[in-house]
Amino acid sequence: MLEALWQNLDYAASVVLFCIGLYTVITKSNLIKKFMGLNIMETSVFAFIVALGVVDGGDAPIMGAGAEPPFINPLPQALILTGIVVAVSTTALALSLIIRIWKQTGTIEADELRELE
Amino acid sequence: MIRRALIVVLLIAAAAPLMLAMSQLPPHGSSETPPYTHISPYYLEHGAEEAGAENIVTDVILNYRGFDTQHEVTVIFTSMAAVLAVLLLDPPGRQRAVQVQQPVPVSTVVRFIVRVLAPFIALFAIYVILNGHVTPGGGFQGGTIIGALVIALSLVMSKEDADALLPRKAEHLLQAAAPIAFFVVGLAGLFAWGEYLYFPRDEELRWLSTLMLIIIEIGIGVGGACVLIRIFRAMRAD
Repeated sequence: MLEALWQNLDYAASVVLFCIGLYTVITKSNLIKKFMGLNIMETSVFAFIVALGVVDGGDAPIMGAGAEPPFINPLPQALILTGIVVAVSTTALALSLIIRIWKQTGTIEADELRELE
Repeated sequence: MIRRALIVVLLIAAAAPLMLAMSQLPPHGSSETPPYTHISPYYLEHGAEEAGAENIVTDVILNYRGFDTQHEVTVIFTSMAAVLAVLLLDPPGRQRAVQVQQPVPVSTVVRFIVRVLAPFIALFAIYVILNGHVTPGGGFQGGTIIGALVIALSLVMSKEDADALLPRKAEHLLQAAAPIAFFVVGLAGLFAWGEYLYFPRDEELRWLSTLMLIIIEIGIGVGGACVLIRIFRAMRAD
């Protein structure tokens, strides 16, 4: 298993990144830091899916003069472009909710917010 | 202490099955994976002739998966609407008094560097948008660069000057530029060929589908930039 994992080191790296994000989400009580953790998890998934499309010695999938196969897989890149845009949208919405929480309660620490109730 | 141990256990429990799955995937860089042998060959072989752009990624997102991208730009627009609803609609009387801090003055170096670089950044953004069909880039990327540029400029400029960069009246219309561009191109396809978002596939009409792709790219670029700027302005509370 370790040998196969070494071959797929790029994928393993995205798992590590995912765990860093998960750690941030569970341990930090500041809402902005929690959301940064969520963004790190998103990024790890994006990195993983883009890495899936890589082909050894492949070129960017742009045709025209001087383009020679093999090309890398264009589909993961197109998918992830969509994913990044949705991630930006959710980030904007979450940050605005955090601003709203701060305006109404004066704090963005999750444990202080729990006491407020 | 126990909490920390629990977290470590949880992280290992999350990572172990993922690592196991990663080790069983086809080796990294292999050209034998099913997506590469079954789906993408068609796009790679026919995309450049058929879809109107040499950049296959642009072909996939704007032509083959045009519907998907149209709804995606609607998602950004909707998220901006949600941000505005959350931030600007204040229920009266429920506000806690939050002490307003004096803004930190911007350093001269930062102001000078941003002003010197601004024209070059703007030129780069326009290049990225207009060449999205032949080079890496496109509407989303260029729009983000424009948005970031205006946000950087509004940090170093006075409020009046920053507002003049994107006047309120123009802003309202331009925010919806991306869905509108898609709609216009889609309706053009509907009236000319009878299918919504239809792109002509003939060799003679290739320039036309390239033109349609560029119109959508410009729409996405302008619309994306305006949405980002509006979200920034709403968060800065002005």
